[in-house]
Amino acid sequence: MTTVSDPVTPESQPPASLATPSRQRWWRNFKLLFARPSTAAGTTIVLLFLLVALIGPFIAPYGENEQIAADARQPPSSTHLFGTDRLGRDVFSRVVLGARDIFALAGLGTLLAVLCGTTFGLISGYLGGLFDEGLMRFFDSLLAMPALLLALLLLGTVGPSRNSVLIVIVIVYTPIVARVVRSVVLSVKNKGFVEVARTQGESLPRILYREIFPSVTPALTVEAALRFSYAIFLVASLGFLGVGVQPPKPDWGLMVSEARHDVSQTPWAMYFPAAAIALLVIGVNLMADGLKRVLQAPGHE
Amino acid sequence: MNLLGINFRLHNKRLHFTWPLAILALTLLLVACGGQEPTTPIEAPQEAETTEAPVEDTTEAEADVATPSGAQDSLLRVAMQPMAIIDPAFISSDSEVLVANHVYDYLVDIDPQSNIIPRLATAWAISADGLKYIFTLAEGVTWHDGDPFTAEDVVWTYNRLRDPDIGSPTADLYANIVDVEATGDLEVAFTLAEPNPFFLFDLSDNHALIIKNGTEDATDFNGTGPFKVTNYSPEDRIEMEANEDYFIEGQPKLSALQVIFFNDETAAIDALRGGQIDLALRMSTSLFQSLQNEPGINTLEIPTNGFDLIRLRTDQEPGNNPLVLQALKYATDRGAILQLVQQGYGAIGNDSPVGPLYEAFYAPDVQPPTRDVEEAKALLAEAGYPDGLDLVLYTPDTGGRPDLAAVLQSQWADANVDIEINVVPESVYYSDAENNWLDANLGITGWGSRPYPQFYLDVMLKCDAIWNESHFCDEEFDALATTAGTSLDEAERVEAYRSIQELLAERGPVIIPYYFAQFGAISDQFEGFQLKAFAGRTDLRNVSQVD
Repeated sequence: MTTVSDPVTPESQPPASLATPSRQRWWRNFKLLFARPSTAAGTTIVLLFLLVALIGPFIAPYGENEQIAADARQPPSSTHLFGTDRLGRDVFSRVVLGARDIFALAGLGTLLAVLCGTTFGLISGYLGGLFDEGLMRFFDSLLAMPALLLALLLLGTVGPSRNSVLIVIVIVYTPIVARVVRSVVLSVKNKGFVEVARTQGESLPRILYREIFPSVTPALTVEAALRFSYAIFLVASLGFLGVGVQPPKPDWGLMVSEARHDVSQTPWAMYFPAAAIALLVIGVNLMADGLKRVLQAPGHE
Repeated sequence: MNLLGINFRLHNKRLHFTWPLAILALTLLLVACGGQEPTTPIEAPQEAETTEAPVEDTTEAEADVATPSGAQDSLLRVAMQPMAIIDPAFISSDSEVLVANHVYDYLVDIDPQSNIIPRLATAWAISADGLKYIFTLAEGVTWHDGDPFTAEDVVWTYNRLRDPDIGSPTADLYANIVDVEATGDLEVAFTLAEPNPFFLFDLSDNHALIIKNGTEDATDFNGTGPFKVTNYSPEDRIEMEANEDYFIEGQPKLSALQVIFFNDETAAIDALRGGQIDLALRMSTSLFQSLQNEPGINTLEIPTNGFDLIRLRTDQEPGNNPLVLQALKYATDRGAILQLVQQGYGAIGNDSPVGPLYEAFYAPDVQPPTRDVEEAKALLAEAGYPDGLDLVLYTPDTGGRPDLAAVLQSQWADANVDIEINVVPESVYYSDAENNWLDANLGITGWGSRPYPQFYLDVMLKCDAIWNESHFCDEEFDALATTAGTSLDEAERVEAYRSIQELLAERGPVIIPYYFAQFGAISDQFEGFQLKAFAGRTDLRNVSQVD
């Protein structure tokens, strides 16, 4: 929004940050994630979960579907940190191993949605006209339905599986990302540096990615973080409703759903995965909030 | 908002309002708002009675909330899965059979100990060759529309049930009937082609509810039964009131009956705890355990011959190779499954539908192979699958079936049989959808308890069986099943059932890891309730409210 845009000196138009060596830029951006206490807390939570997702199989004491009949329904103890569920499965191991699933599904889904959404948003916003009109009305029709309802509809058609959940996340969130990107494109596409690039005869992809995309990144980063937190919810909700990841995968939503029948007997089997969902979503939201404050602050760049 | 509104009124208009009443009204509102059926006012006569407020203090406000019903009104509210089919010839689920069993009557009924007892037929005689059955019908029976019940109604009903063009699942069961004839106003004669020692049980098949001669629309609830339907709201509830003209004196003892539909067992049990329903007949073992020390609720448990089975289609790869079926038997630990999935309730299975409940026919010494992972691997290798198998397992989402799937996955993985689980809503699993219970290659199916074992063989395992979900066809088995089902010599039948159990344990297409117990939970405000092995056939005619 406040990117440098002096039409007289086109060479200076890329934001200063892009001109600096990329390693430095990354480091500075990374430090931004710890700029405020709440952001730092959020980032720490997300990084911890990410670490758990990466090294999960090494720290989980038991397998995801390892059933120890003799240990069924044990409350939390030193052998079973989070207790065991009714089938004698270690809840701690399942929560730990489930982290990878949530990152794989929600993370990859968000990434793909951001990719698709950015491409559509850039092209649609820049080209305008009938293409823009058609695409946006189509996206509007998708957005008219609540995300969960749309997801249920799609899953009802393609059948529940991990891949379907991934596809559903992409379909549900692409329109939202595309609209955010498009709105930024509309605000910059008539600025001087873009027109200069156009008159210099630069190709369309080059204009989109070299000239316009940098202006989109702040808003896009915030949006991506927000989408990620919603995607976690969506994956968990679908798992809970039984149409997402199928048992006996340690999907957190599915674990909550399976354990809710036993809540009077083995409450720990429900509370720990539920807490994991809540904590991760809070972490991502705090991080997104911090990013928003930093990246979209008037003085930034 | 409502709460606030009422609070406001209480403080401003009725300063002398008695606090116990206010609290009661608020509590009821909270219960109403938090309950599973938010649109339904909660009938809570016992709570209303506890209020000590003087009569003149009753205001409109709480009259809306609590409608105390008189003591003579005894309403029993049963929680069940929603019903989809009304025509008795096609019903199958608990709720469908339960409703039909109270709107209509069977010709003969079955008591909780699996004995045949009179219902519309008060007496019967069987010819020496076992081919002719003559029934005497009860007098003074009328249909809910007022017309008298006659032998023609019975003839018409059974002709309809055995007509292949109507397409009731019973057409096969009654193929043996040559003729049904009214030999008097209240006398019916059945003639059979072959003797059938279980014929009286067949006549009391779940579908065999007597409907009125010439009925064109069999969904009109016009029965002779103990209750009349007053309101049916699909997906919500069905309301019935006692049939004042019921032909058995003193029955039913309740004045009204409601079946309230719940898609979710937990929600149903929560409603039972909260007093919105009085009786629940299906619940998971954990829910049953959680109700053990619940005040105001009595729990009951009986053994049944109901079971969950895992079956692989024998007309497709890899199940068309008998070695694969054997390998899966070796890979399964039935004892561990009983402990984990049923928490030890019920009995361990022997891969045959002839369970311990049928004492005369059950052979306890015939057992499927005990678990031996190496043997399972060896058999798979011999069958041409040295690297094991990858299979998709379909299971309905009810009862302990998803748990059973999870345990199986873990056990079979040891023998290199990797299964991917697909949990399907029960209504979809039993519909015409792709990979339904008759179509899926590998599936888990629950079978309700039946009063005699021949039924399972006839509809599930014979070559041309209507519900042959494993697509099993074995000539030796068919011959044994025919002997078991037709011989009038008891010893010969016992021997045939024994051979059947041996055959199924060795090379049968199904794994039956356990027979489950039937659970029930009822409010202690009611008495005279008896649990039945098949929940749908529960008989509520003798249930009454405690004064």
